[in-house]
Amino acid sequence: MSDRQLSAMEKLKARSRYLRGDLAEDMVDPLTGSVSEDSTQLLKFHGMYLQDDRDLRPERMKKKLEKAFGFMIRIRLPGGVITPRQWLALDEIARLYAGGTLRLTTRQTFQMHGVLKFNVKTALKAIDAVALDTIAACGDDTRGVMAVSNPHQSAVHAEAFDLAQRTSLHLKPRSRAYYEIFLDGDKVAGEGERDDVEPIYGKTYMPRKFKIGFAVPPSNDIDVFSQDLGFIAIVGKDGVIAGWNVAIGGGMGMTHGEPETYPRIADVIGFCLPQDVIAVAEAVVTIQRDWGDRTNRKHARLKYTLDDRGADAFRAEIAVRAGKPLEEARPYIFTSNGDRYGWTEGEDGKHHLTLFIENGRLRDSPDGRRLLTGMRHIAEAHDGEIRLTPNQNVIVANVTKNDRDKIEKIVAEHGMAGRASGLRRNSIACVALPTCGLALAESERYLPQLIDALDERLAAHGLSEDDIVIRMTGCPNGCARPYLAEIALVGKGPGRYNLYLGAAFDGSRMNKLYAEDLDHDGIVATLDPIFAAYAKERESDERFGDFAIRAGFVVKTINGLDFHADTGARRTA
Amino acid sequence: MSVLQIPKTAPFGDEEIDLLNRVVGPASETQRAWLAGFLAGVEASTGNTVQPSAPPVAAEPLTIVYATESGNSERLANDLAKSARKNGLKPTAIDLADLELDSLSKTKRLVVIAATWGEGEPPSRAAAKYKELMQSSDFGHLDGVEFGVLALGDTAYAEFCAVGKQIDERLAALGGKRVVDRVDCDLDFEAPAADWIGRAVKVLAPPEADRGKVIPVEFGKAGAAKTEIVEAEIIELINLNSSRSDKETVHLALRFDGAMPPYEPGDSLDLYAENDPAEVDELLAAVGLAADKALRDELIKSRDIHTLSIKNFDAYAALAGHDYMAELIEKGGARTWIEGRQLVDLVTHFPIILSAEQLRAVTRPLAPRAYSIASSRRENEDEVHLLISAVRYETHGRARKGVASNYTAGRRKRGDKVRVKLRANKHFRLPRADHDVIMVGPGTGVAPFRAFVQERRAAGAKGRNWLFFGDRNFTHDFLYQLEWQDALKDGALARMDLAFSRDQSRKIYVQDRIWERRADLIEWLDGGANFYVCGDAKAMAKDVRAALVRAYADVKSLSADAAEAAVAQLERDKRYLQDTY
Ligand code: SRM
Ligand SMILES: Cc1cc2nc3c(=O)[nH]c(=O)nc-3n(C[C@H](O)[C@H](O)[C@H](O)COP(=O)(O)OP(=O)(O)OC[C@H]3O[C@@H](n4cnc5c(N)ncnc54)[C@H](O)[C@@H]3O)c2cc1C
Ligand SMILES: Cc1cc2nc3c(=O)[nH]c(=O)nc-3n(C[C@H](O)[C@H](O)[C@H](O)COP(=O)(O)O)c2cc1C
Ligand code: SF4
Repeated sequence: MSDRQLSAMEKLKARSRYLRGDLAEDMVDPLTGSVSEDSTQLLKFHGMYLQDDRDLRPERMKKKLEKAFGFMIRIRLPGGVITPRQWLALDEIARLYAGGTLRLTTRQTFQMHGVLKFNVKTALKAIDAVALDTIAACGDDTRGVMAVSNPHQSAVHAEAFDLAQRTSLHLKPRSRAYYEIFLDGDKVAGEGERDDVEPIYGKTYMPRKFKIGFAVPPSNDIDVFSQDLGFIAIVGKDGVIAGWNVAIGGGMGMTHGEPETYPRIADVIGFCLPQDVIAVAEAVVTIQRDWGDRTNRKHARLKYTLDDRGADAFRAEIAVRAGKPLEEARPYIFTSNGDRYGWTEGEDGKHHLTLFIENGRLRDSPDGRRLLTGMRHIAEAHDGEIRLTPNQNVIVANVTKNDRDKIEKIVAEHGMAGRASGLRRNSIACVALPTCGLALAESERYLPQLIDALDERLAAHGLSEDDIVIRMTGCPNGCARPYLAEIALVGKGPGRYNLYLGAAFDGSRMNKLYAEDLDHDGIVATLDPIFAAYAKERESDERFGDFAIRAGFVVKTINGLDFHADTGARRTA
Repeated sequence: MSVLQIPKTAPFGDEEIDLLNRVVGPASETQRAWLAGFLAGVEASTGNTVQPSAPPVAAEPLTIVYATESGNSERLANDLAKSARKNGLKPTAIDLADLELDSLSKTKRLVVIAATWGEGEPPSRAAAKYKELMQSSDFGHLDGVEFGVLALGDTAYAEFCAVGKQIDERLAALGGKRVVDRVDCDLDFEAPAADWIGRAVKVLAPPEADRGKVIPVEFGKAGAAKTEIVEAEIIELINLNSSRSDKETVHLALRFDGAMPPYEPGDSLDLYAENDPAEVDELLAAVGLAADKALRDELIKSRDIHTLSIKNFDAYAALAGHDYMAELIEKGGARTWIEGRQLVDLVTHFPIILSAEQLRAVTRPLAPRAYSIASSRRENEDEVHLLISAVRYETHGRARKGVASNYTAGRRKRGDKVRVKLRANKHFRLPRADHDVIMVGPGTGVAPFRAFVQERRAAGAKGRNWLFFGDRNFTHDFLYQLEWQDALKDGALARMDLAFSRDQSRKIYVQDRIWERRADLIEWLDGGANFYVCGDAKAMAKDVRAALVRAYADVKSLSADAAEAAVAQLERDKRYLQDTY
């Protein structure tokens, strides 16, 4: 049957000679800023996207110009930790080639946008010069491995970070194509023809993207339940990690009007010892490699494989491939999926400053907030490390006591520490327009204004300081993990959003569709009475998401398969 | 005198001889002279050199040398030749570029019509010969040679008519006898030039008495096709730069219902623009003439209200009687003061009330601006396309806007009419269809090459076309990008190399690409390719030529001089052609 046909992407991967294709030629064609359709797909495995500035689309044809093509470059940064020296390198590339802005992502790394094709190699060489790369930052592979960001419980976090790095390295594609094409590395004779180049992936890599993350309770900042494969640290009384709970099958993406696609939270299926983590990771990856649906990209993520095969099938196969069965999962408690701002002192006496970077956008804006320059000066002054959080924020980590004032001063001078309401502090938005090719509506460029309006209503109800998680995306793909937010706005069309309510504050429960196709005023008018009710009726420290369900505004979502069931407003005021 | 009879021995039939006798017999002296000329002319024009049966007394030779870039001097040279012929002279007009200098000493009468270009430089084609004329004297002395010089120029330039002036001095220094004083023409040269030509012919022509008995009758085509100003409708006006670009380059499509000038690829159009009414008002207000609507209209349509030259500075100073101005002129500081300044600076710095007459006196007629034609008639029957870059800059704290470019880019819209006139350029033509062409046209310099490529595509020319283009940013300033992509697909372009100066920290220009591609480039040239350069004269054209010389030196391992000679040879063979401005 034709619907059992391998997807076109699978055929392309197979003939690409380990991700080479015609990329080398396409990258130097001087007449166009773009590359062929095939090359566009292969680029992703090398951490890049061919995009175009959608703001300019209407005028280009008329002016006899092709689309305003630009490359999005995403760094591979397992665990989101970077040295000041590396930061300065990225900062310079951003200023020279990427429109003077850096973008922190929801998976703890950097993106640069609008890089001209002819500057890509120069940029990648500069990235390579500080021991960074973009390999597998996108594409059908194991990308951006996350790790809890707050280094508060120093020892435990160090271990989580170390595991994230080793896992990423272990699962990193081995093809030399990246070095050949972008770094002028020597051609590896005949590599494209060999069969043993990718011991873990083989010639066709994964059926789809595959995401891994390491969480350390009580912080669920990495949204472990949104990962294809998540690890939850189980810390013993002695403060040492006894092992890790294993969660599989998380994922956010869905498509409007296609209920067979749905977001899903991961199931905790067991526990493994620290020394077995990488073996378990490789087992889950290879199972998904073999079992994943390669005929339909909208059904190719592990979350669907899991619902099709069942957790027991996975447990059994993991036991075989990892050489030993998973143990019984152990108890753990998460308290939130957000960040704690300001200074904290680690057990090791080192100080850490968490800065709120609205939507992860680092740029010098006319209004006086000079985030890009500020961070550059911090990187120049700082000799510890810098961490990126899954909430698109920055942590200046391992600051010595006497350096605190120095950092404080830079922060103040560059207007980097503006007061933000509880809602804004807990907000994230995806990139969307103008660069994202899939955006149906604005996100990053709009959420700040929407929050201005909502803040006004919250203030009216005395809720300005309450932590409420709000997330916005320009389409249902879920890049800002909206379905795990107490308030989610998901782009439907220009200026129109679907409103979701009722997710758990700790990221353990998804929300439910409350209202569709709201415009700005509609959003504010719809939320205002719910805020009012929350102010009046909530029980002591009851979270907004839990309240929305108890107070009867929406039905509780159990998991992916009932995400699209019983939707809509059950109460309006 | 007795009636003339055609002898029976003449090579005609009897009744033909009768017929001839009936006409020639009673003919007046003038009629006979004309007939003689006519028959001689017929032979000449058909290439035969058979002398007419009644050989005319040879007319006195006159050598007319012209140095031209955009053809004005050449046209005047032809005008001069015409009237010289009518007055018993036998003129030969020749481009300084093609002149054998030794021949000068053999001439008795010499007229030079020379334009000045660049910053006081000779027209590019004549550059080499000009240098030789000025520096060497191997070509002997001009003792007794009667000469006169007509200089063409533009008072807007510091080096006004520099070339004409220097040639005039040089000819005298070489022993020539100046029989008619030099006149330096501004852009409105027609009247003064015609007047000078009249006087020149008078002094150079022999007295009536000893004139030949032949009235020259011209055959074949006259020199430059004289075309008229025509109105055209703007059917397309698009700024090709992206809205993120700091440049504005408009693609202008003109329709001529019927009256389209018969242009060839390589020609330009003269555009008759109008001044910005706002600027005119400012000027009028400053001199207290705001009320004069008629004058306002005249200034907008036909006067150059920008150009500030020593000429009108002096004129204005005389009116103003301003001490500081007088002092400037005294100490020669005026030259530096007018640099980068315009009339409006003058009237606002040294305000005085003027009469309409006085204001008119410090302005000159508004000259048309030339724009390379960017289309081929073969692809666009009744249209002409132009590519116009809006000139905007700031000097002395004042925002300045170029007249014609801002008139089109800023104040014209679809449906409006503009006045234009063909400005042919027979020195910038495509080669035979089977020859390759290399085109270097950054910025608006690409305009004529769009015409070239359209023409060669439509004609199915076998020769290959290679284009070098450059501008500031790939994404925002790639003029006609989609068309070039198509041209490469359909083969109308064999290659295209690009240089965008501001996309990377290191500035890259077309000359850098020429250097990178030198091996292939020299191979094309050895294969007989023509090399065209169009665009900025100040820097680009020079840098491109220098790059080509270096390319020759490197690829063929030649000495710097030998490489220079190689390029000079290309120029002499009319295979290195430029249209720069
Ligand atoms: C930058 C980032 C959002 C942000 O504002 O930070 C992002 C941006 C994009 N995502 Fe994402 N995703 C980002 C995290 C996510 C997450 C959150 C997470 O992983 O924790 C998700 C939901 C989890 C999941 O994968 O289910 C996510 C689910 C998607 C999907 C839907 C995948 C699916 O199988 O359902 C797409 C579309 C696709 O893959 O077909 C997508 C596609 C994209 C693309 C590349 C659009 C495209 O494919 O053309 C976006 C580039 C926009 C731009 O101009 O930069 N992105 N994307 C995040 C980069 C993470 C990183 O550093 O690797
Ligand atoms: C044969 C030929 C072909 C041409 N083809 C084209 C063409 O295809 N496209 C095109 O756009 N142009 C072309 N030009 C140039 C064009 O004719 C005009 O010179 C140009 O458009 C400027 O005219 P304008 O009336 O707008 O500016 P003007 O009012 O004439 O002002 C231009 C003057 O302003 C001054 N100026 C300009 N920039 C600066 C600066 N940055 N700083 C200080 N002073 C400055 C200079 O004195 C300059 O001469 C061509 C010229 C020639 C001779
Ligand atoms: C780019 C350019 C530079 C010029 N430079 C000078 C100059 O330095 N001095 C001058 O007197 N005239 C200058 N002129 C004016 C020309 O000499 C004038 O237009 C003349 O009529 C051109 O004659 P031609 O068509 O025979 O070349 C310049 C004109 C252009 C377009
Ligand atoms: S959620 Fe949609 S719009 Fe936003 S970045 Fe991801 S793909 Fe683009």
